[in-house]
Amino acid sequence: MKKIIILFFIFANIAYGYTYNEVLLKAQASIFPKIMLLDKKLNDKLIEGKIIYTVVYEKDDYNAASEVRKFIKDSHQARLDKYQYTVNLVEFSDFSHATKSSAIYVLNSNENIQKVAEIAKEKGIIAFAYDIENLKNGLLFSLMIEKSTILYVNKENLYSKKIDFVDSLLQMVRFIDKEHS
Amino acid sequence: MKGLLFNMKNKNINSLSTKIVLSISLLSVIIVLIIFAVFEKMNKEAFYNIELEKVGLIANTIEPLIALNIYLDMPGNVNQLVLQLMENQNILAVKVLKHNQTIHEAKSKKYEDELNDSFIVKKRIYQPNSKKSIGTLVIIYSSKNYQELIHKYTKLLAIMLLASSLLFLLFSLYVKKLLLPLRKIANSLKNYSPNKEIKIPFASENNEIGLISNALNEMQEKISQYSKEQENINIFLEEKVTEKTSELRNQLYTDSLTGLPNRLSLLQDLANLSDAALLIINIDDFKEINDFYGHIAGDSILVEFSKRLHLMFETDNNIKLNHLAGDEFTLLFIEKPSKESLIQTVQKLLYEIEKIVFYYDNNEFSIRVSIGGTYQIRRALEKADIALKSAKKEQKPFLMYDEKLNIEEQYKDNMEWVKKLKNGIEKDKIVPYFQPIFDNVSEKCVSYECLMRLIDDNGKVIGPNNFLYAAKKSRLYSKLTKIMIEKSCKHFEHVAYDFSINLSVEDILSNDITDCIKQTIKQYNVANKIVFEILESEGIENYEEISQFISEMKALGCRIAIDDFGSGYSNFEHLLKLNIDYIKIDGTLIKNLDKDTNAQKVVETIVDFAQRLNILTIAEFVHSRTVYEKVRNLKISRTQGFFLGEPQEATNRYL
Repeated sequence: MKKIIILFFIFANIAYGYTYNEVLLKAQASIFPKIMLLDKKLNDKLIEGKIIYTVVYEKDDYNAASEVRKFIKDSHQARLDKYQYTVNLVEFSDFSHATKSSAIYVLNSNENIQKVAEIAKEKGIIAFAYDIENLKNGLLFSLMIEKSTILYVNKENLYSKKIDFVDSLLQMVRFIDKEHS
Repeated sequence: MKGLLFNMKNKNINSLSTKIVLSISLLSVIIVLIIFAVFEKMNKEAFYNIELEKVGLIANTIEPLIALNIYLDMPGNVNQLVLQLMENQNILAVKVLKHNQTIHEAKSKKYEDELNDSFIVKKRIYQPNSKKSIGTLVIIYSSKNYQELIHKYTKLLAIMLLASSLLFLLFSLYVKKLLLPLRKIANSLKNYSPNKEIKIPFASENNEIGLISNALNEMQEKISQYSKEQENINIFLEEKVTEKTSELRNQLYTDSLTGLPNRLSLLQDLANLSDAALLIINIDDFKEINDFYGHIAGDSILVEFSKRLHLMFETDNNIKLNHLAGDEFTLLFIEKPSKESLIQTVQKLLYEIEKIVFYYDNNEFSIRVSIGGTYQIRRALEKADIALKSAKKEQKPFLMYDEKLNIEEQYKDNMEWVKKLKNGIEKDKIVPYFQPIFDNVSEKCVSYECLMRLIDDNGKVIGPNNFLYAAKKSRLYSKLTKIMIEKSCKHFEHVAYDFSINLSVEDILSNDITDCIKQTIKQYNVANKIVFEILESEGIENYEEISQFISEMKALGCRIAIDDFGSGYSNFEHLLKLNIDYIKIDGTLIKNLDKDTNAQKVVETIVDFAQRLNILTIAEFVHSRTVYEKVRNLKISRTQGFFLGEPQEATNRYL
């Protein structure tokens, strides 16, 4: 019986994508859009005057992505500060340079993280990662809940001409890079 | 004893050194206190601001982080930041409010103890990258550091103040010590007098005090020398003053020309006597001697005359001779003589004087005198003078003052009239009254005589008989004449009647009056209406002047009447030459014309004479019908008098 249960979880995981911590998802859905607003060059990233917050997911994580969209809308209602916004869900396979986005939130993936990170870097948009480990693959921001909530930033991708955060944000984040995690 | 101590203290306070010391001390205290107050205020504020800036800096540093954590809804991080702040020992409490609701608050253990003297800094928390306020950060900062700093600073200032005060005190004492020699010099000078030499201290010192001492010593010598000179001068001056006083006293009571006692001496003698007699001797027509032979001759006669008088009475101790002024001398009888004795003396005096012959510059002079006398000591000089004037007026050599003469009353009366006249002139109360003159054929009014009237303060109309004498004496007469000329001409400027004005010889002889007449008749264009009435009796003596005036007036178109004709001793030949137009027959002939046959004959002669010369005749003082009828019977041309018309202030009655 015990074996059956373990196998269920293994197959379920394969069948239904990655496992996500709901509390972490909620916290990231609340905080990441706000961090996006701390970019002084946000106006350059508006698409038709609106913020387009794109959730990039694997096909199997659609539910998780939908949850994220729901959490964002619950947290921020109709507007992000003074801006109108839309949360788009885009699969990794569909995500490309043509994808219109002001910022992206990347759920887990085994293969596609790097590709998304490179596109984001080239387009100069902020890339938030669900998993802190994905910062090593080039995504910019992530968040962990430990004793308190801690923000992590990929130091290597931070200095971009198209992104300029308020100074105080940088005073409270923890920086990680490939060598020092 | 207390008074002495008080005086000494007072002197100490008033001394220069004390004043300098006190002034320096006072000034120093004021300066130090001002510096103290200013520094304390400035530094307290500076310290306060430094502490406040410290808290502000902390708040400014931490606020963005707190803002970010509030913004990102990370309360744990806010709490951590608050705890970090609380590690600062000077921070007593921190409070973070989100939209006015406290979300974090922390207090130190010292909070309760030090709350009262703390700084409270409130800092608004703004949303990052926006100006939107999302909360408030309140930091309560201990003022313990500030208080300690202030305490240390105040202590330092107090020490400085004390040290400065001590320094100034020492300086003051030093100044006092420097000035002490001056006090000693002053004390030594207290005993100084010009006759006594004193030793002034500190003369050997090589400084300003030594210079003062030496200068004082030199001054002492000069004063001593000067004092001796002054004493000699004083003695000389005292002698001179005594001598001059005596001279002046003599001059005061002595006439400088004759050497006789003067008027002042006489007044003093009169004041000291209770009963006496006084004679005033006046040399008749002495002015003529002065005018003709000169003042030196006059003075020479006066001196000689005084010597003769002196010789006459020098043996009589009862008579004192004085020279009043000019040609007047007095004889004062110290004991009143009998009337007979006095008259005898006067007669002897007059006799002796008539015998005297004076010589000057080969000329012989004889003089006559008039003498006035009085028996009354009260106002003796005035009374004797009145008697003298009466004697001269009556052309008698001697008259005694007599109360019955009433001369004083006459003087008073004249003075009263002068006063009234002046008042009348000032208030424009000298006015002409107009008496009509009627033609005896047509029985109509043909002209008016303008007669002077004075209206007094009670409105009473006064005729000129009352005041004419006083007016002539006081020289107001010419003013009155001018007023009459001006007012009469002005009145008749627009009245179609002839009018006559009385002129005295004095008026005609005055250029001022004749100029006034010419100007006024021209101004009012009345030359053809005006008739000048000249008194017959007055004109005879000044025939030439009168004749010239008449010629000038007739050339202008004026007419001339001879007034009071028949009262004097008229020279008919002269009258013919004067070319007169009217003869006004004297009132004394007219007023009894109806009864007095002699008057009738005289009038008849005058009328006959006038008719031959085509001169119109006017009868004055016609007061009754019988006189009027007689006037008409005698063929007198015109009539004037109360019977036909009294003088009136207007002329419209007979128009």
